[in-house]
Amino acid sequence: MQKITHLETSAKKDIVIELVSEEDFKSITKAKYFFDWKKEKENLIYKLRIDGADEILGLMAIKHFEQEERCEIKLLSVSKENRGQNKKYKDIAENLIAFACREAVKNYAENACVSLFPKTELKSHYIEKYGMLDAGKQVFLEGISLFRLLKKNEL
Amino acid sequence: MRREKLNEKYSKEEQVDAFVFRTKLSEKQIQEADNELFLARKKAKEQLNENQILYAKVQQLKFLIEDYAKSNTYNKDFSFAYFLRKYIKLNYKINKNFAKDIELAETELSSILNKGRTPNKKTIVRLELHSNNTISAVSWYKLLEKQKEYELQTDKESRLKESKHVKNCLVFDI
Repeated sequence: MQKITHLETSAKKDIVIELVSEEDFKSITKAKYFFDWKKEKENLIYKLRIDGADEILGLMAIKHFEQEERCEIKLLSVSKENRGQNKKYKDIAENLIAFACREAVKNYAENACVSLFPKTELKSHYIEKYGMLDAGKQVFLEGISLFRLLKKNEL
Repeated sequence: MRREKLNEKYSKEEQVDAFVFRTKLSEKQIQEADNELFLARKKAKEQLNENQILYAKVQQLKFLIEDYAKSNTYNKDFSFAYFLRKYIKLNYKINKNFAKDIELAETELSSILNKGRTPNKKTIVRLELHSNNTISAVSWYKLLEKQKEYELQTDKESRLKESKHVKNCLVFDI
């Protein structure tokens, strides 16, 4: 099971990642989750929560490009309380990205690819943090880099 | 929040740890980027050896089993035997060789695959070990459990038969 770490106590918490429901949009505000997530309804939107709790700690929108055997992370945000120096839990974004890798492998096996468009100034940081590969304007996970992220996140 | 404010509040590392932003590239730029990605992916693909390809296929099967086992739907086609057949096909041309590798009588494997025979605990544990712990014994067991649950829910014949052996049933006046 995927886990996140509570920084104050170092306790590992089991997490659940699942599709958001229409009801969830009532609590998904721009103030807490940074973006207008209603604009992403054409994509698959996943939420991350601690197993047994309701609060959404992170959101991710992905789109499958079946012919290319690839899924693209269109948008991702962790909740306000979990950003920056004073965040409560760590590894929320990484777990969401690893989950996108899981979905890609489930659908495309050895050809699975997860890609995203980084802001230019953040590209090298995505490469460093998540082991992503450089494809010019996009960064991506495929093959060994993708398997490594799965393994690191107990998938 | 404007870009400058965001940069003031969060370092680049912190932004990568919290966000993936929407792209503002034009359709033409996206098309160019997709062409670049296609070439970069080709290189990554070429680096995969047979063993890593097998690993990816076993992982795929593992995720399919996990998701089916925890889903609320029952599909009679997705039996234990269905997934085991898929697993064997990933690395064996004939079932006999697989049976040999997990020290299972060929006839027993055949009964599991074709006659719905329930595998015992030893067999399930051997399946886990054979996959190098990729597909856990628990995942295999959950498939069996799902099947049994459905059979139990829909078995009218047993209910009719067993009703003859039950007296003084609880009666609720509500």
